[in-house]
Amino acid sequence: MKINYFLFLALPLLLTSCDKDDPVIPNEEELITTVNYTLTSSDGQDVVLLSFVDLDGDGENQPTIMGGTLSANTVYTGSIELLNEAESPAEDITEEVQEEDDEHQFFFQSTISELVVSYTDQDGDGNPVGLNTSITTGAPDSGNLTVTLRHEPVKDAAGVSAGDITNAQGETDIEVTFPIDVQ
Amino acid sequence: MFNNILKYIIIIFFFLCNTILLAQDCSISIQGRVVDEVSQLPLSYVNVYLQETSQGAATDNDGRFFFKNVCVGHYHIIFSHIGCEDSKLHIDLERDTVINVDLDHSDHSLGTVVIQGPKDNVSIQPNLSVNRKKIEDSSNQNLAGLIENEAGVHLIKNGSGISKPVVQGLFGNRLTILNNGIAQSGQQWGNDHSPEIDPFAADNITILKGASALEYNGGNLGSVILVEPKRITREPHLHGQVNYSYESNGRGNNANFRLEKYSRKIAWRINGTLRKYGDRKTTSYYLNNTGLQEANFSIQLEKEWNEKIFVDLYASSFNSRLGVLRGSHIALPEEIEQAFTLLEPFYTEPNFSYGVDAPKQHVSHQLIKLKAKYYQNETSVLEFIIAGQLNDRKEFDIRRSGRSDIPALSLKQYTVNVDLTYAKILGDNWNFKIGNQCIVTDNTNNPTGILPLIPDYLSWENGIFATISKKINVVQFKSGIRYDFERQEALTITNTLPKEILRYKNNFQNISGLLAWEVDILDHQSISIYSGLSMRNPEVNELYSNGVHQGVSGIEEGDVNLESEIALKNILEYKWLPSPSFSLSTLAYHQRFKDYIFLNPQDEIRPTIRGSFPVFKYEQTDASIYGVDFSSQFTISNLIIGQVKYSYLRGDDTKNDVPLIYMPPSSVFGSLTYRTLNPINLSSKITLDEFEIELNNRMVFEQIHILAEQDFIAPPAGYNLVGLKVSTNMLTPSYKVRLFVKADNLLNAQYRDYLNRQRYFADDVGISITMGINFKF
Repeated sequence: MKINYFLFLALPLLLTSCDKDDPVIPNEEELITTVNYTLTSSDGQDVVLLSFVDLDGDGENQPTIMGGTLSANTVYTGSIELLNEAESPAEDITEEVQEEDDEHQFFFQSTISELVVSYTDQDGDGNPVGLNTSITTGAPDSGNLTVTLRHEPVKDAAGVSAGDITNAQGETDIEVTFPIDVQ
Repeated sequence: MFNNILKYIIIIFFFLCNTILLAQDCSISIQGRVVDEVSQLPLSYVNVYLQETSQGAATDNDGRFFFKNVCVGHYHIIFSHIGCEDSKLHIDLERDTVINVDLDHSDHSLGTVVIQGPKDNVSIQPNLSVNRKKIEDSSNQNLAGLIENEAGVHLIKNGSGISKPVVQGLFGNRLTILNNGIAQSGQQWGNDHSPEIDPFAADNITILKGASALEYNGGNLGSVILVEPKRITREPHLHGQVNYSYESNGRGNNANFRLEKYSRKIAWRINGTLRKYGDRKTTSYYLNNTGLQEANFSIQLEKEWNEKIFVDLYASSFNSRLGVLRGSHIALPEEIEQAFTLLEPFYTEPNFSYGVDAPKQHVSHQLIKLKAKYYQNETSVLEFIIAGQLNDRKEFDIRRSGRSDIPALSLKQYTVNVDLTYAKILGDNWNFKIGNQCIVTDNTNNPTGILPLIPDYLSWENGIFATISKKINVVQFKSGIRYDFERQEALTITNTLPKEILRYKNNFQNISGLLAWEVDILDHQSISIYSGLSMRNPEVNELYSNGVHQGVSGIEEGDVNLESEIALKNILEYKWLPSPSFSLSTLAYHQRFKDYIFLNPQDEIRPTIRGSFPVFKYEQTDASIYGVDFSSQFTISNLIIGQVKYSYLRGDDTKNDVPLIYMPPSSVFGSLTYRTLNPINLSSKITLDEFEIELNNRMVFEQIHILAEQDFIAPPAGYNLVGLKVSTNMLTPSYKVRLFVKADNLLNAQYRDYLNRQRYFADDVGISITMGINFKF
């Protein structure tokens, strides 16, 4: 009996005699590391880049956030670019959103008085997407502009196509806040 | 309920005597007496049914029954008693026969002492169990749902389909579930992971609430849930059963079959179950995407040589698809707060559907086990078990660009168990048991395009235990010690740029010990004291988790520097079983933890591109959990049976002087069952027996022992659920059919449960009617 006993003890030892193989580092195709929101004044003279970059995803490193200064009483054309810069070369996620524009919508909320963001693009159903926008500034002020991207929002819910996020539902793919000065 | 957990079959003694040869073939009599196995007191109102002739009888006050004018032949006699599992006897009738039956009647919900078969060891442990009859009558329930009403048991849920048991405040890593003697492997840490076990394959589900369940591996800190099939009845005929039930809420269908046959060559049993549920419904709206589909199969083979060697091969396959409420797939705190204010969750649709879409889980679990038991002589038994398990878990989220079909989490876990146990009755009636248990676990993530929350790992655990017990007059004593060694090798992927693989190797050593006494005092009363010290090393999730976890609504981070936690549990139990018609049990426990591992919310709110998430880190503190489990059963003039079960529990972080989160609130379960005493003869061929009407009530109190800042939303109010059940057996000469109809949440109460994560988003399920049929042959 003793012999058997030690044999059985040894059996699992055999199973652990070799090290476990390295895991496959996943190719995080879906990851968005970078949001670039480029604002160009209607005369083309003033170009402001708002950007949010967080290369380590959910990791401990703080994101790099770049706000901007806008001119008062001016109309800007806004365009959003989404990148995955964790990949090399960087992957353009904007295309994915464009391809599924009926399943995506950006929302813009600001604490700045008289700053209005309106949609200038549409999906196949005639609902807004928000990759392209028009921003109108009013009197000088400073505050925050929060840009949110929802996946699978209910675009026909009350107020959603007008840019109200309250009833939008869906998963939050992006929620970033930029400090803005209007001068 | 029955205490036949470690006795695979109810022991029935029957003696053939009083032989009088008669000329006529059809004038034979069968008489006998039924007594309670434990107290040896006569049992009255036991229904005795002679299946082949449809003759029914009930035992008198002295436990006696009598059949006359029976012909020579083969007969099956069924003994049934309220709350008991039927026992069936096969006899070859040739002459007048006297049968003495020891019926195992003691109420196991009261926690009686388990004394295993005469050749086995003695174990002292408060336990309670669910028998086959309850499993059949609750065919709409999963494993956790079956034991929900037991004292000291609660459920952690994520919607209605996903639930896991909590025993005396402990669950997941701290609670071992033994399926067929094998520690169930899987991703047991997650609150949103159900144990992958088909309860239909089992005959008994027992909850051992001991101070330290030393003989069982798996890092338990006191309690163990045993899920076991019984031994195949030594009956030469093919027997089987078919169960089917339909549940109105979720439009669920549950179908099960079981076949078994014994022969000297080999005994076999097969079991198969199919379930399909669609969207559940609250009092006012559908919980969309909460359906489930399940297909399970098991096979059991038994072979015996000379009553010396007993070999049992068991294989099972569990496969399920579970939907998660679409509107609960939210992780940002401000969105949870918004969702809570809604009248109905996001994505609620007016129509019912059986569809299961993302977010969902596909989980399968395969088990194969070979057990050999060698009865060396009257005093010693050697047992060897080897088992393999494969747990395959895939979780699907809503993803962009058609990636919803690719799981967001995909884990494959292989486990091998090797156990060797030796039990011996030494001189002077000392029971001695020694064992070695080994578990190797290999956990691998399949590529999903997402950084894994739980890393790949390999672990090797080896445990050695020894216990000794003895009964001296009215005192039963047990003591034991256990040593475990665990080696872990984990491979994490950092979220730095570029990503790196880190290889961690840990060695842990744990020691556990137990002392237990049970003293019989006057008038069928007993007092038990258990004291156990146990250690549990940190699991891989506690050490290395990293990422956003839906289950905690935040970023979850492990700590590589965690050490083993130590728990000291003391139990005082008082039992009073004055007669078969009354019993009472009170169990008080206190468990103190040093270095209790828990997920602590941090002050940090971490900005990410998807918003700002709270950060939760695994930390260690000192904690205390104490509580009382009370249960009582009484019979009023043999017609009405009442049951009361109460659980109180309180958990505190004693170092920081704050309550522990996710502790079950107090609850009371009560039931009154009316039964008919004698079989009702509908016609000469059809008899109804065990006609019962049960009215029950489950009341759960509000969890008030929690601080507002410990949760996103305050705990929900207490609630009260009323249930009603009508059941009966219909007997004919050739078969027996059991019928039941029951209503859960009969008053359609609107409620939310503190331990159900879905409470942030939606109400719990409303009224549900289940109709079931069980056909046995």
